[in-house]
Amino acid sequence: MADLQDDIPATVEIGADDGLPDDLFGDRRPAGELLERAHALLAEHPVADGYSGLPWALRHLPWYDLELGEAAIDTDVPRLREGHVGALFWSLHLSGETGGERAVTAALEQLDLVRTVVESHPEGLRLVGTAGQVIDARNCGRVAVVPGPAPGAALDDSLGILRVLHALGLRVLTLAGTAWAGESGLTRFGEEVVREMNRLGVLADVSGASPATAARTIALSKTPVLCSRSAARARRPHPANLPDDLLAALGEAKGLCMVPLTAEQTGPAVPDVADHLDHIRDVAGPECVGLSGTYDSGVVHPRDLADTSRYPHLIAELLRRGWSETELSLLTWRNVQRVLRSADFTARATQQRRASHARITELDAAP
Amino acid sequence: MSAVAALDEARALLREFPVVDGHNDLPWALRKQAGYDLDALDIAGDRSGHLHTDLPRLRAGGVGAQYWSVYVSCEEPDPVAATLEQIDCVRRLLDRYPADLAPALTAADLEAARREGRIASLMGAEGGHSIANSLGTLRGLYALGVRYLTLTHNDNVDWADSATDEPKAGGLTAFGREVVREMNRLGMLVDLSHVAATTMRDALDASSAPVIFSHSSARAVCDHPRNIPDDVLERLPANGGVAMVTFVPKFVLQAAVDWTVAADENMRAHGLHHLDTSPEAMRVHRAFEERNPRPVATVSTVADHLDHMREVAGIDHLGIGGDYDGTAFTPDGLDDVSGYPNLLAELLTRGWSKADLAKLTWQNAARVLGAAEDVARDLQTTRASSLATIEALDGPAGTG
Repeated sequence: MADLQDDIPATVEIGADDGLPDDLFGDRRPAGELLERAHALLAEHPVADGYSGLPWALRHLPWYDLELGEAAIDTDVPRLREGHVGALFWSLHLSGETGGERAVTAALEQLDLVRTVVESHPEGLRLVGTAGQVIDARNCGRVAVVPGPAPGAALDDSLGILRVLHALGLRVLTLAGTAWAGESGLTRFGEEVVREMNRLGVLADVSGASPATAARTIALSKTPVLCSRSAARARRPHPANLPDDLLAALGEAKGLCMVPLTAEQTGPAVPDVADHLDHIRDVAGPECVGLSGTYDSGVVHPRDLADTSRYPHLIAELLRRGWSETELSLLTWRNVQRVLRSADFTARATQQRRASHARITELDAAP
Repeated sequence: MSAVAALDEARALLREFPVVDGHNDLPWALRKQAGYDLDALDIAGDRSGHLHTDLPRLRAGGVGAQYWSVYVSCEEPDPVAATLEQIDCVRRLLDRYPADLAPALTAADLEAARREGRIASLMGAEGGHSIANSLGTLRGLYALGVRYLTLTHNDNVDWADSATDEPKAGGLTAFGREVVREMNRLGMLVDLSHVAATTMRDALDASSAPVIFSHSSARAVCDHPRNIPDDVLERLPANGGVAMVTFVPKFVLQAAVDWTVAADENMRAHGLHHLDTSPEAMRVHRAFEERNPRPVATVSTVADHLDHMREVAGIDHLGIGGDYDGTAFTPDGLDDVSGYPNLLAELLTRGWSKADLAKLTWQNAARVLGAAEDVARDLQTTRASSLATIEALDGPAGTG
């Protein structure tokens, strides 16, 4: 895209007076033109959306057709195409309506629903488990669906269940909310869980985890870790948002902070979201920031980002702020690709390690 | 035919048509004895004294395919979670012993393993409690490789009566029939061992695919509720299924059935539950056993069942399901998984032909799995995943 060369500002010495206004990166071209460029960019580097609540939302619908379009939800194939979404992480929601439903059964049911939904929309969706399969899906014009994140409760504190859920497609696990990833960090069993996840190729998601757990996981994991739904604490004091020291640590480890498009965590408007993205890019680095639409999750979205078709509006705002094509391609697509590929590579590299039969009752027994 | 000649011929037969065994509880034994530490209880070597099953004895016994049971106790706090751990155990065994165990999901996989000289490894879940009234969970088990579900274990489930519990549903409920239909659609075999005769009949009515009895013998030969009544055996030719004879002495030998009843009564007379294994209870039980020696089943006992089942169901509807590592006692001559040649030798001396024995050991079981796949392929052209719930079909919980 040669025309983009025009937008890269000339390099100047830091501090030197270049005689330009402070808003150096501001693009004053009409909004329509920026939107057009956003579409063109996204056509090249689509969005890998880190969090969708669709499987749980569909559970409540008696009938739906994602191929034709579905007004009752935020996600369907036409809007995914309009928004240039190329890959989608489908979160597994476990809390039963009756309260009696057990987490493991709920996880199996959600994975079954994911499989059923994807199989019944073969023209639009494709279930994938590796970075290579994401590319295949994209080459075939399908939206890649990655199962996960699932809450750690789905494991019922068992590495055997982790392996079985991986076999059923699960690729991201949220550590928060378990007995082995609490306020004081990972327990010995928790560390064994992370090692086993590395061995299998299941990404660790530390959104919502305590700072101690997040820091230990980042240090321990042989593959980058994710924050599936975290924005910048410095921009908005939400408990799931990351403070700058954790963002820096995540950046150091080449992890990925995926910013949720929710009014609660990022603020009510597109520029608020962009502020978070600017901040995380500056603190963690452009290789460590991603997007989580968080659609169909029962949350309020910023204005103009109401459903999965709206990503170009966000990208247009970032273009206006001077994000380069490289930065934007990392943000929307390439960072997620790198993390998935790294997980695959780590799993292959640790295949000589045998499956762990450690049990929480042995490793975390009271002293 | 001399006994030695018969045994030689049995071994030769098994080399061509090895045993497809319907039920083996090795995974549960590994859970209970070793906490799934596969190094601690390595089945690559001789593990007699700990287990009925290891690779050398499976080879000696002429086993060519094994349905590994992913059984869990009804008492488990979360039976689905425990079932997944059992499945993981089987998957780890397959990873660990690739030269001996071949993962198998289809009849074609069975044949491929037989050609390669590996033991085809399938999985069967034992009891509807393993799906927690959830068809999504049933499909999850299928996706993980489980190829049969025994509808109940020793206790009723909400949708089916067990042979060894108080009648409640009177067979299958509406949801129970939906479970059977969904299993048909998936290509998962309906296993009717452990279920009440009423459930057997309802399942035969509901199923459009052949059923199996993964480990059950003939009730006419030995009157125990775990065995199959003749009217059910008679329906197998029309259904196409197989009854896989089991060896458990307290199911196959009338004297052992009676002895078990007396032993249980003795426990109750001492104010103990009959399954109590506390030191006090074991003392009471040992004293009883000293006064009343335990009757011993033999190869001939099992052959009697097969002779009868063959007469009633026909040679095309028989198989073998030893229940090794799922039972404390075994018949003389069938002490562990190396014993199958003794059973075949006994049948040869009773006049069974080589062709008969090939059906018993391999061909019938392989045919049934293939037939279930064919039915599934048909059904999937017209039917999608069932979204039924037990509440919708059987009413709110508790009203049954």
